[in-house]
Amino acid sequence: MSALSSGRRTLGKIAAFFLRDFAIARGYRGAFVLEMFEALFGVATFYYLSKFVSSPELSSAIPGGNNYFAFALVGFAFFDYLGISLTAFESSIEEARQNRTLEALLVTQTPLPVILAGSAAYPFASLALRTIVYLAWGYLLFGFAPHSVNWLGAIVILLASILAFAGLGILSASYSMIFKRGNPAKWLVLGVSGLVGGMMYPVSILPRPLQILSRIIPVTYSLEGMRAALLSGASWPVLWPSIGALLIFAAVLIPASFVVFAWALRRTKITGTLTHI
Amino acid sequence: MPAPAISVENLQKYFPPALSGWKALVYPVARATQCALENVSFSVMPGESVAIMGPNGAGKSTLFRILATLVIPTRGHAAINGFDVESDARRTRSQFGYHTGGDEGFYARLTARANLAFFAAMNDLPSAEIASRTSAAAERMGIADSLDRQVRTFSTGMTHRLGLARAILHDPSVLLLDEPTRSLDPLAAADFRKLLKDDLVRGHGTTLLFSSHSVAEVEEIADRVMLLEKGRIAAFDTPARLRASTGTASLSDAVTRLMRTPSVDGAGQ
Repeated sequence: MSALSSGRRTLGKIAAFFLRDFAIARGYRGAFVLEMFEALFGVATFYYLSKFVSSPELSSAIPGGNNYFAFALVGFAFFDYLGISLTAFESSIEEARQNRTLEALLVTQTPLPVILAGSAAYPFASLALRTIVYLAWGYLLFGFAPHSVNWLGAIVILLASILAFAGLGILSASYSMIFKRGNPAKWLVLGVSGLVGGMMYPVSILPRPLQILSRIIPVTYSLEGMRAALLSGASWPVLWPSIGALLIFAAVLIPASFVVFAWALRRTKITGTLTHI
Repeated sequence: MPAPAISVENLQKYFPPALSGWKALVYPVARATQCALENVSFSVMPGESVAIMGPNGAGKSTLFRILATLVIPTRGHAAINGFDVESDARRTRSQFGYHTGGDEGFYARLTARANLAFFAAMNDLPSAEIASRTSAAAERMGIADSLDRQVRTFSTGMTHRLGLARAILHDPSVLLLDEPTRSLDPLAAADFRKLLKDDLVRGHGTTLLFSSHSVAEVEEIADRVMLLEKGRIAAFDTPARLRASTGTASLSDAVTRLMRTPSVDGAGQ
């Protein structure tokens, strides 16, 4: 089989996963509509919070002369990608265990990396839509109007972020393969990232040790790059350090996560606990 | 003489004990000490139908799961159509269809057609063929009229048929069925047996390895019967020879007598 046809087949399988999850989600239309309104409440909360906390120190730390509302909205909307990465792979395995489709999937011709990538396709696409809804609510109702935007840069930052976060997500799924429930690593990564990653406030206001810590987690580079692209229309030379850092995280984390996940899967096949809940 | 469709040599499987609480933390990788299969060796020829019988906990499901590449053996080898289940798992998976009687492994809110199409894609069927293969498999299993219904509306019997349709979608030469008629009512089970015997084994020459607690089912479908007890093969022969060797009139009596006799090493050779 040529590399081209193998690649097409893989893409076809990922599309099949996407269509499967889309068809299932379509059966819950009410939940989808409610999520859109949930986003509105989130955006409104940030708007009123921004009015309360607005200060000259904060404004000077925000790129492109934007206000705190724009800063927090971008941080909140894109921090979700880390959350989804850490839960999407794990949830897809957990659901497959619950509805007993995991074994049916694992006896097919589809390799594990494709199953993982396919399982995450819809959650990421759905999150992309939700991000757009967040920004749209902000624009339509609360005056979120960035002065200039580097859209292509934002897309590249987003893709690089997803790759970097996916490695963490697959590592998290490996943990739940073995230990089934309770995932302290996931909460640690989310907690530390929320604290020092710059979601709600600039990293520059943190004490020095926490600033150093923020440099070794991918979400910091993701939010910095995304804000630079979306709020100040930063050029490629400005964005490149964030993109490069995210790609380095991805280059290290993705292969490592596949090795760990393959080990975890093998371990469950040895212990016979593959389908245990 | 053709090569066996299924060959198993000196297969052993030991599981680690199930630990919980602080022991699970202290010993996350506990030693495998609980025997599920011990020196199991046998082969199944192409087109043959073999039943595995034995009490609960005898190792039947473990054997199926090893053959289906879902459990890794501790020692020994197993191969399907010459492909080793451990070292060549992916190619092994192209050789068999797998279905278990307790199988609810479908997406309940999707239609049967969407479920089959999804698993067909996962089994590398070309997209141009998926629709026709899905319809053909459903036709063979007698559920063609229900293809556009959500699976959550299916009865247990129909779900079994759908499971078997999924197992044959990629046209495997070997079928592994772990208690395929479990939880079916007698009429549905009889239908299902007819389907297995007439359509799959006789009609298509499929090699069939299945487990069952029903002697009538085994007599109806199986060419040979394997008795597993405490992870070992207690006997492996045709129903007629099992009856003759035990001096009993029925397979049921033969099975009962053999299960009360100590295991015979090498019975499966």
